[in-house]
Amino acid sequence: MGRLGRKRKSIGAIVILTFMLVVTACSGGQTEGQTQNQPKDTTGKPVELRLGYYSSAQTDAKMQELIAKFQEKHPNITIKTESSPYNQFFQKLDTQIAAESAPDLWLSDGVLVPKYAERGVLKDLTEWIERDLQKDDYYGLDFNKDANGKYWGVPQGIQIAVLYYNKDMFDEAKVEYPTEDWTWDDLKAAAEKLTKDSNGVYASDAAFDKNKVTQYGLTFFSITEGWMTVLKSYGGGVLDETLTKSIINTPENKQAMEWIVDGMQRELLTTPSDLKSFQSNMAPFPSKAAAMRIGIYARTIDANAADLNYDVTLLPKGPDGKRFSPVIANSWVINKKAEGAKGEAAWEWVKYWATEDEAQKEWAALGEAVPVKKSVANSEQFLSGKPDHKQAFLDSFESAGTLDVNAVWSEWVGKFGDSINRAFEGEISVDEALTQADQDVQQVLDEFYK
Amino acid sequence: MVTPYIVHFLVFVLGSLLASLYFSFSKYDILNPPQWTGLDNYTKLLNEPVFWKALGNTVYFTVLFVPLQTFFALVLAVALNQKLRALKLFRLAHFLPVISSWTVIMYVSDAVFNPRFGFANSLLQAIGLSPQKWLQDEHLVIPLLVLIAVWKGIGYIMVIYLAGLQNVPSEVYEAAEIDGAGTLQKFGRITVPLISSTTFLVLIMSTISTFQAFEQIYVMTGGAMDASSAGGPNKASLVLMIYLYQEGFSFLRMGYASAIAWVLFVILFLLTVVQMTLQKKWVHYE
Repeated sequence: MGRLGRKRKSIGAIVILTFMLVVTACSGGQTEGQTQNQPKDTTGKPVELRLGYYSSAQTDAKMQELIAKFQEKHPNITIKTESSPYNQFFQKLDTQIAAESAPDLWLSDGVLVPKYAERGVLKDLTEWIERDLQKDDYYGLDFNKDANGKYWGVPQGIQIAVLYYNKDMFDEAKVEYPTEDWTWDDLKAAAEKLTKDSNGVYASDAAFDKNKVTQYGLTFFSITEGWMTVLKSYGGGVLDETLTKSIINTPENKQAMEWIVDGMQRELLTTPSDLKSFQSNMAPFPSKAAAMRIGIYARTIDANAADLNYDVTLLPKGPDGKRFSPVIANSWVINKKAEGAKGEAAWEWVKYWATEDEAQKEWAALGEAVPVKKSVANSEQFLSGKPDHKQAFLDSFESAGTLDVNAVWSEWVGKFGDSINRAFEGEISVDEALTQADQDVQQVLDEFYK
Repeated sequence: MVTPYIVHFLVFVLGSLLASLYFSFSKYDILNPPQWTGLDNYTKLLNEPVFWKALGNTVYFTVLFVPLQTFFALVLAVALNQKLRALKLFRLAHFLPVISSWTVIMYVSDAVFNPRFGFANSLLQAIGLSPQKWLQDEHLVIPLLVLIAVWKGIGYIMVIYLAGLQNVPSEVYEAAEIDGAGTLQKFGRITVPLISSTTFLVLIMSTISTFQAFEQIYVMTGGAMDASSAGGPNKASLVLMIYLYQEGFSFLRMGYASAIAWVLFVILFLLTVVQMTLQKKWVHYE
């Protein structure tokens, strides 16, 4: 009897709840209609947002500070953060997505945005961006645009590469500092005068021993701070504009590769195995074992910490005068499953980050990335301090381009590297490497896109 | 006490086993639900040269490592089973690498084998030989990894052997001595046969763990610096577990990676069956 009674009661409760739900849904529909043009109205209902980001101890503190400020402005939004170091963050994220427990929005490495977007995990932000952001006010929005013109993220900070050079080493070797008119051949000519063996003999001297290099002309690492820059300024590249076809086996790429291999075989540039000896791909420049590097903005941190006497300038041009400055736009992306108020609240955070000078300046002060908002990037606050010619980062946007990023980026970069690294070490010819890489990369692309 | 165990077994053992078996017959990118593709992963696997290369490397590593470690661990155990001064100190010294992490070992061995800054190359050059690229040399990488692994793991196997040696009755040795047996004869005719059940355990354990080798190779070939360089140079040290990890976790092909895992399981199962059958010929139980 008691059981039955309880059952009846619960049925009653369900009826009442359903009724209430219908009523609130109707009124909810009305308020939503109003908020279309005034997104600020979402301040009504309390929303809890889960926000994920990768960080170091230093950036974590700043992020928490900014989140607190955001919550003051939006008292209805409570943000719960989930942060961890880079590698763990993305490993955990994948399993969270599988378990449908991923954060509502997260910070994505720029090169990983298509990985999630093309696998249907992210919210399409095109409408919101068109509605709320003046595109001309920001750097790098278009770097998250896919081949169909859709936007999948809003940059959190921009990494763009320039040429770093160690002034002391140039002075010691009596070589003129790099200029904005340099071609890659000019760079190599300078590198010859800057590469030194353990006896202090430069590579331009016949007595130079290339097996005992202690100072390299240029340190050269992988894609962003290595080959992609050279390939593209020689008019080559890896993928076509659809990002589904390999264009590896071209005369332009061959010319660029030959430039690189020649430099490496003469030990003017670091080979992949040279870098292994340093136990860090980033070490040679800050540890004064290389006179130049291709470096993104974040590399100023190590160079400043090492108290180097250095400066930066635009990257060299290819033989036809083309310059290419690789860009990675690390971005805020929103989970497709964050719907309604959650999605709106997530967008509020993204908007706060991009539009508010306060947020932009605070983050820029860390020296981690070029600010997304142009007015802040062009301010004295960002441009002052070391290196002197920070303007070079901003000027590089004129020749900026992405790294042919698509859903299988990490994999094709790996496959490409398998072959060309062997050419870099002098084990196979450039032709062989390009033919093999072309085949391998196309296979990776076909598996995902066909 | 039975219910908690059954729950644990169903969720954490049987459940995960069946899930991975199911994934191995599907296309599964982790981010989206798996789609059944039948035997696709297995046919792709058997036609993939990289898989065969990884399997070959794994077998090569195991064939070098297991006999070498087993033999030297036994010799070491016999040596440290005598009445020596500071015996415990010696045993401790050999056990220290066992409890060190691979990252620490990586730094220590880098001090020796770094092609530019390492001690080994200075030594080679001092005696007039040409410097080597060591772990960055396609032909040297696995033998060198094996040597380092033997050095690190030998203390553990030694301890197992020491326990086994306690069970060899000293009367047998005394009898042999009276009959005029020398040290080598005692080792070959008494110690080795009487300790064969321990050797059998050691062989099975180290074969299985070597087939699953991951951490050492990942760390020492630069995986921590750049995940795609693990197993290098030029895939010369790419073993099955690293291949599995890259396919599953770096490239989001969890279905294919699960197929690798099941193939690995079948290989290990067959190997163990073979070892179990062969043991009748050489393992003596009292």
